[in-house]
Amino acid sequence: MSESTATAARGSTASTARPAAAGPSQGRRLLRPLLLVALLVVLLLLPLYVEEFWLRTGFAAFGAIVGAIGLNLLVGNTGQLSLAHAFFLAVGAVSYVYVSGEPGGLGVAELSGLGLPPVVGMIVGVLLAGLAGLVFSPLAARLRGIYLGVASLALVFIGVHVLNAWTSVTGGFNGRAAPEFALFGFTFASRDPELYVLGVPFRESERLWYLGLVLAIAAYLFARNLLRSRPGRALQTLRDSEVAASVMGVNVQGYKARIFLVSSMYAGLAGVMYALSIGSIAPESFGLEVSILYLAMIVLGGLGSVNGAVLGALFVSALPLVFQRYADVIPFVGGRGEGGLAAGEAARFLFGTAIVLVILFEPAGLAGIARRVTGRGRRRPGGRVTESAPDTSSRSTSPVPSEKPAQGSTT
Amino acid sequence: MTAPADAGRGTSTDVPPVEVENVTVRFGAITALSDVSFTVAPGAIHAVIGPNGAGKSTMFNVLSGVYQADEGQVRFGEHRLDQMRPFRIAGIGVARAFQNIALSATQSVAENLMLGRHHLTKAGFIAAGLRLPRATREGRRHGERVAEIAEFLELGDKLHTPVGVLSYGDQKRVEVARALCTEPRLLLLDEPVAGMNAEETGRMAESIREIRTALGISIILVEHDMGMVMSLADRITVLDFGRRIADGTPAEVQADPEVIRAYLGSGDEIDPSDAAAAHGASSHPSDTSGTRS
Repeated sequence: MSESTATAARGSTASTARPAAAGPSQGRRLLRPLLLVALLVVLLLLPLYVEEFWLRTGFAAFGAIVGAIGLNLLVGNTGQLSLAHAFFLAVGAVSYVYVSGEPGGLGVAELSGLGLPPVVGMIVGVLLAGLAGLVFSPLAARLRGIYLGVASLALVFIGVHVLNAWTSVTGGFNGRAAPEFALFGFTFASRDPELYVLGVPFRESERLWYLGLVLAIAAYLFARNLLRSRPGRALQTLRDSEVAASVMGVNVQGYKARIFLVSSMYAGLAGVMYALSIGSIAPESFGLEVSILYLAMIVLGGLGSVNGAVLGALFVSALPLVFQRYADVIPFVGGRGEGGLAAGEAARFLFGTAIVLVILFEPAGLAGIARRVTGRGRRRPGGRVTESAPDTSSRSTSPVPSEKPAQGSTT
Repeated sequence: MTAPADAGRGTSTDVPPVEVENVTVRFGAITALSDVSFTVAPGAIHAVIGPNGAGKSTMFNVLSGVYQADEGQVRFGEHRLDQMRPFRIAGIGVARAFQNIALSATQSVAENLMLGRHHLTKAGFIAAGLRLPRATREGRRHGERVAEIAEFLELGDKLHTPVGVLSYGDQKRVEVARALCTEPRLLLLDEPVAGMNAEETGRMAESIREIRTALGISIILVEHDMGMVMSLADRITVLDFGRRIADGTPAEVQADPEVIRAYLGSGDEIDPSDAAAAHGASSHPSDTSGTRS
């Protein structure tokens, strides 16, 4: 995506010494913004041409992209392994349906809701998820690596239990419908107002596509800018060596708290988008499997890389949906109730294979492959390079997920 | 090489002395430092030497706030270093270059050096994430200073190279440059030439001398290379088994019978510089004193 910000930031952080030495050649530098504009135009025009299925898949992918970028900031860039991402998604989603949902009864369950505008619900969802992350963050001061991961696991189980038990807010076992999104009277549903663009009816899926696109781009740019500046450098040093970071003047506990806050806010937004994309929330949507899928996204995409998180999220979130739709043409995959693998299972097999392949052959993930394909000359060293410095391998402070930092940790 | 123009402070007049008084550090039953005292005069190059396991790196970890002293005080002007957290110590102008290189290998030299500006800059998450003009301006201004310091340490042409692909000697120079980027008043150098060849050692010694003359800051040096220590240091503190066994000028220390015994395990009349050089050579590169501390 936005490589132009990269070159701009490079200029600002690294003074003006010789940007050409490390940057791409003259022709490439012109080519990149052009490609980006082309990509953006395609993304903007897509709703005019493609059918609803792809737009719905796209919105789900945008939500996953936001969540994956957030998790990657925490795990990939700061080295704090978290399996609690599903919990923070749930906080965002539940807050949204509660704050913006209307009170009422659904069968036996008596639902309460505040009935506030959906924008308020979205903001509250993001803030509450962030708050949950902030409250959890002191644990990261005590635990490292896999231990932190296991501790964070507890949140997921607590979350699922609360979703099941707190019926008046969450709808309990059956879940609860998510209110349609609306912005200043413009609803992201099929009516109110009726809308046609170039003769194409803009219904819920088209409108949500644009909402998702805007949110995903904002999330992308924020993360990208963050990593290329002062806080980002502090976070990445903290990942590589907490002692070095603190001796260089970084308040390690403070930064851990802040990155938990930011990462959980991303998760909260992803949770709200998930609720909008499905149209409802249910306890099983926020289980351990979701946390693992998010980890799969960032590992596949390339730990520490914002672009990688985008690619990984796209792959992991869209694949099952695509499999499901094309079950009849894809070998070994059967539709519902037919023989062969279920679409979701088939997709999971593929993720598993892909993760093994990525770890074996390209630790920098999809982002690394993309970089190779586009031939971006910057030869960033892989994780292996740390071994060239004889003493660094003996450090015991480096947290588990960061032992092999992905290539080009900020790209 | 040109001396970097000083950015507003760091002149020798406001460099306070470092006073280490009766510092004791214990790890369980092991006493790593026992009642160690010494004073670093403003603007001096003060070396701390001793055999492996003497407590040199523990001393550094106390000075930079990574370890707590069980007893004693460390004063830097009006500040009590033994009561401050590491990132606060960085904030009052104490910088440290690590023995076992603690740089981010995948990041460029410039990005690693910019970390040294952390306590001098302000941009927070929101300003950075939104690219507010003040964050961009701040980044550019400090980027210029970083380029200057890199130039000073002969790293100017490697600013955009990922640290991981640099030679070992260059990585050590980046360590020192990053410490300098904090605009320190006290620079802690933990074995800056460990594992370097003779030519790289010479360049590093030259750089350290220039840092002192250009900036007028105090430097505390832990080093095994006796030739370098004797030629650079104004004063030397010798540790052995966590105790201070000598403290004085290079000439005094070299003649001290305690020191000779510590290095050779006997009272033979042999110049400690030879003995220590041999000692240093045999202990690299598998030197464990840094990690064992």
